[in-house]
Amino acid sequence: MMNLKNIGYFFREAFISLTRNRLLSIATVSTMVICILLLGTAVLMTINTGSFINRLESDIQIIVFLDNSMTSTQIVDMKRNIEKQEGVKSVVFVSREQALQNLQKKFTDKNYDLSKTIGKNPLPDSYEVKAKDPKNVGALAAQIKQMPGVYKVNYGQGLVERLFQVTKWVRIISIGFIVVLALGAVFLIATTIRLAIFARRKEIYLMKLIGATDWFIRWPFFIEGIMLGSGGALISIVLLGLGYNSLIHNMQTALFFIPLVYNHSLLVNVYLSLLATGALLGALGTYISLNRFLDV
Amino acid sequence: MLVQFYNVSKVYKNGVKALNDISLKIDRGEFIFLMGPSGAGKSTLIKMLFREEVPTRGQIFIASRSIVRMKRSEVPQLRRNMGIVFQDFKLLENKTVAENIAFAMKVVGSKTRDIMPRTSEVIQMVGLKGKENSFPGQLSGGEQQRVGIARAIVNRPLLLIADEPSGNLDMNTAREIMELLYDINRKGTTVVMATHARELVKSARKRVITLEAGQILSDQNSLESL
Repeated sequence: MMNLKNIGYFFREAFISLTRNRLLSIATVSTMVICILLLGTAVLMTINTGSFINRLESDIQIIVFLDNSMTSTQIVDMKRNIEKQEGVKSVVFVSREQALQNLQKKFTDKNYDLSKTIGKNPLPDSYEVKAKDPKNVGALAAQIKQMPGVYKVNYGQGLVERLFQVTKWVRIISIGFIVVLALGAVFLIATTIRLAIFARRKEIYLMKLIGATDWFIRWPFFIEGIMLGSGGALISIVLLGLGYNSLIHNMQTALFFIPLVYNHSLLVNVYLSLLATGALLGALGTYISLNRFLDV
Repeated sequence: MLVQFYNVSKVYKNGVKALNDISLKIDRGEFIFLMGPSGAGKSTLIKMLFREEVPTRGQIFIASRSIVRMKRSEVPQLRRNMGIVFQDFKLLENKTVAENIAFAMKVVGSKTRDIMPRTSEVIQMVGLKGKENSFPGQLSGGEQQRVGIARAIVNRPLLLIADEPSGNLDMNTAREIMELLYDINRKGTTVVMATHARELVKSARKRVITLEAGQILSDQNSLESL
């Protein structure tokens, strides 16, 4: 495919073409910057939405209220029984005293003493059960409810199911959005690169008639496309990185309820993938545009 | 036998019938003029020689190989045995005379150490010594066509195809270019040349194939008998 002795020639031709068609190079890089910027924004938004959804989902738990008549041995046995159920991640005991304290904490005004107002503690002992897969809480709750000594189970019935409907669609829509953006980017890049190739169609025709192989003609264009693609991607990654960092610094306090993902290695991976995407888009755009001119 | 056409017809996608049942043979070492009015099918026939077009019907053999059944990946090898001279020269404006010629060798993968001496040799052959470092824009039409011819022969083709090579040149320059082509032919290269220039053909005493409306009207040993 690539004859090693021609590598120097291929790179030289690519560089000459880059500088000769300066205006078209700038146009291609600008298009690439916009595409990667949009794509990167979409990816970052998807990652953040995903982490937000994950957090919501992992908060889902089943609260098992116990019958007040249970003895302490029965309570301990029950914990073992719950843990035996399939798909249980953790079981945490919350005593009635602790439950009252927790409730008291919600009334931040210290002057308001719950236990005095109510007189005696009306709350039952309970277990907080988390499922390995939050989607199974409904089934798990139904099973636990069958156990003797269970007074009531509560897991936000109805609400949880609706949350999963919403999160499913949020995931589908964000991935669809990224796919559409990527396709649009390929089209835009291919169009810009086609202009650059069109300007050199006579040269390509001549090379074909002299007996050049398709790959001999393709390589310089490929190298040019990859350089334009990764160059554009690099610019947008810098812009995106600066923007995202300032977002983290400035918005963290203002929008505390939206926890932004700040995982260094994850972000580095995102940026590297964007760089690779830029190079790939450049190569793909060149491939699509070039084939028509090679058909001689 | 270098070229054989058997009952070749060509109908373009837009319905234009360019060639209709053409059969002809060209021997190694021949010099052939292809004549006929515009639209007679000269260009289509020429393009079939280097497989820019393929026939709708019929067979074409070049050096005993069918170019109709040829795979796309084999086409470059076919073309490396040919040199093509164009009416509009098709020189690369940003390359010098020597670079334009060397380019044709580079494209077919010649060794770098072979390129320089062979380029000087053909520059000498076409009479452009001293103009190696000029750009096409600094040359006259006749000189530009000499570069075109040098580029066409630099890879030592079996077949030289010239499509109206003197179409853009005055009569004296055209005659000089013809002398160059005869010279190349004398050294063994088969030449097929499409032209309108009746004067040039008359004085040449070479085989003349005349096309009209996609068919062979006549195939003579020279034009004087007409």
